[in-house]
Amino acid sequence: MATLSIKGVRKSFGAVEVLNNIDIEVEDGGFLVLLGPSGCGKSTLLAIIAGLEPSSGGDILIGDKNVNDVHPKDRNIAMVFQSYALYPTMPVRRNIGFGLEMRKVDAKEREAAVQRAAELLQIEHLLDRKPGQLSGGQRQRVAMGRAIVRNPDLFLFDEPLSNLDAKLRVEMRTEIKRLHDRLGTTTVYVTHDQVEALTLGTKVAVMKGGVIQQLADPETIYDRPANMFVAGFIGSPTMNFLTGMLEHGDGGLVLRHAAGSLALVGLEQDVAAFVGREVVAGIRPETLNAGQGAAGLQGIVDVVEPTGPDTMVIVSVGGQLLTARLGPKVRPKPGDTLNLSVDTAAINLFDPVTGNRI
Amino acid sequence: MAQTRSGSNLIWNILSYAVLILLAVLSIGPLLWMLLTSFKVEDDIVTRTMVYLPTRFTLENYIKLWNQSGYPVLVINSLVTTTLTVAICLFTGTIASYAFSRFNFPGRTPLMLGYLVVRMFPAVLMIIPLFIVMRNLGLFDTSLGLAVAYTSFLLPLFVWMLKGFFDAAPTELESAARIDGSTRIGAMFRIVIPIARNGLVATCVFVAIAAWNEYLFALMLTSSTGSRTWPVGLQLMVGEFQLPWGMLAAGGIISIIPVIVLFALVQRVMVAGITAGAVKG
Repeated sequence: MATLSIKGVRKSFGAVEVLNNIDIEVEDGGFLVLLGPSGCGKSTLLAIIAGLEPSSGGDILIGDKNVNDVHPKDRNIAMVFQSYALYPTMPVRRNIGFGLEMRKVDAKEREAAVQRAAELLQIEHLLDRKPGQLSGGQRQRVAMGRAIVRNPDLFLFDEPLSNLDAKLRVEMRTEIKRLHDRLGTTTVYVTHDQVEALTLGTKVAVMKGGVIQQLADPETIYDRPANMFVAGFIGSPTMNFLTGMLEHGDGGLVLRHAAGSLALVGLEQDVAAFVGREVVAGIRPETLNAGQGAAGLQGIVDVVEPTGPDTMVIVSVGGQLLTARLGPKVRPKPGDTLNLSVDTAAINLFDPVTGNRI
Repeated sequence: MAQTRSGSNLIWNILSYAVLILLAVLSIGPLLWMLLTSFKVEDDIVTRTMVYLPTRFTLENYIKLWNQSGYPVLVINSLVTTTLTVAICLFTGTIASYAFSRFNFPGRTPLMLGYLVVRMFPAVLMIIPLFIVMRNLGLFDTSLGLAVAYTSFLLPLFVWMLKGFFDAAPTELESAARIDGSTRIGAMFRIVIPIARNGLVATCVFVAIAAWNEYLFALMLTSSTGSRTWPVGLQLMVGEFQLPWGMLAAGGIISIIPVIVLFALVQRVMVAGITAGAVKG
């Protein structure tokens, strides 16, 4: 096990800058998730950590050792690929043991290690099959077996669950978390799925255009997003954005929007400089509740989407559409007028010009 | 509606089979005729009316060919030349096509096109320069010289074909192997080549058959029985005043035996290789 330090890493392909000055520290046993849309540079960063791609500048340190010029095979890392990358010509047993075989580990010891890994992942019965005879979930387990068998300093996962169906994805996500809790190996995990990021990571780096937008623990990322990109990318349904003027009202600050005003009770941010200017209020759907409260909004119901445990209600507030996550029993009809109370302490205000959190 | 469709299907099937049978007859017919001719006596071959089946079955043509014309030497020369050609292509071409498939180095595309340019010229144009080169290198009239000459036009085929098979093997597998402890070249031998094995076999068979059957270069670049190959030897049996049809047919039959054996051995692998390449590459 080891720490991982990424210091000022850059990568460009010709004139195209795909990674711009990336700085990340991961503690020993930490779980870093690189999260972002396609093309944000997260997989490239992972390939640089693995040594499969050279960086254009900056340093990668595993433990105290600078590994910039170290061959992938000598970095003592293990990687699980999106396509699993199982060697099709070898049976599962040899796939898992290949890393040990390359390191000239004695056959008996190798066999024992493969057996241990297989037991941990419950794939002992598959050891003599070829990858082509396995299902997606089984391949996924074999790929993980290949990673854990060597006790590496660092695990790298490149969107490992994206080829699985929804149910299996949830199962394997739990499995990965359990494995990490058990082995405590420092992990870097690339995904575009925010649920994976929030459930697995001890630290999440949200990336866009080769730049880290926010690096924080999942709770902070969700509750206090650094900018509107992060706010909009994390959460499903996504955060509502309500534009209005920030003004002094009777009991404190209010957000004056097209259909009235919203008292900003218990706001944590220091927004004094923005009074009298336009701001964007980020409101999570679950902080909206049916009924009137200390602070509220009134709107016309546009669409009602029952999902089982929740009912998503899309409401038009002065022409701006907001989604509210309401209880399963709440069933307003389109066209109804709906009062929503707002947990204003959970609101984040953003600067509409820069998109950053004020 | 359903009936019309099955009716037109039937016509379509009949047409397809007719064309396929015609093609089969066209390709098997001459072979069969050659086989029959090789077992005929001279009187059955040169006749006023066509004699289809030998009136007297004889192995005389084979015996004469084997004992009198030095044909075994020709076949051995051909085997040596073909083996050398395949070996050179296999050694240099595998590495070259792996590099073309995996690395993005300056000059990669021009170099690949350069490989093709060789094939754009008629062989006759290449023979004179090759002749001079071989003579100066002391490779004229040697099996090695002939193999090098064959490589000049078969290597591009080899590299381009094999590159398709290498391209079809996912690069992530090599990344995985490199993380698992392989070097790049180790990953190529342990992971990529086993995956591309069928393609490699198919490509080698193509090259082997082309080298085995080649006539023009062999005619120009060999001058003695020490290195002459069977197609040239067979042609030289045709003299100004004699045309030994029986022996020519026997020579033809003997010369296709290695090809048939080769095909029989690798047929399944080769078909798998070609179709895999067609679908993925």
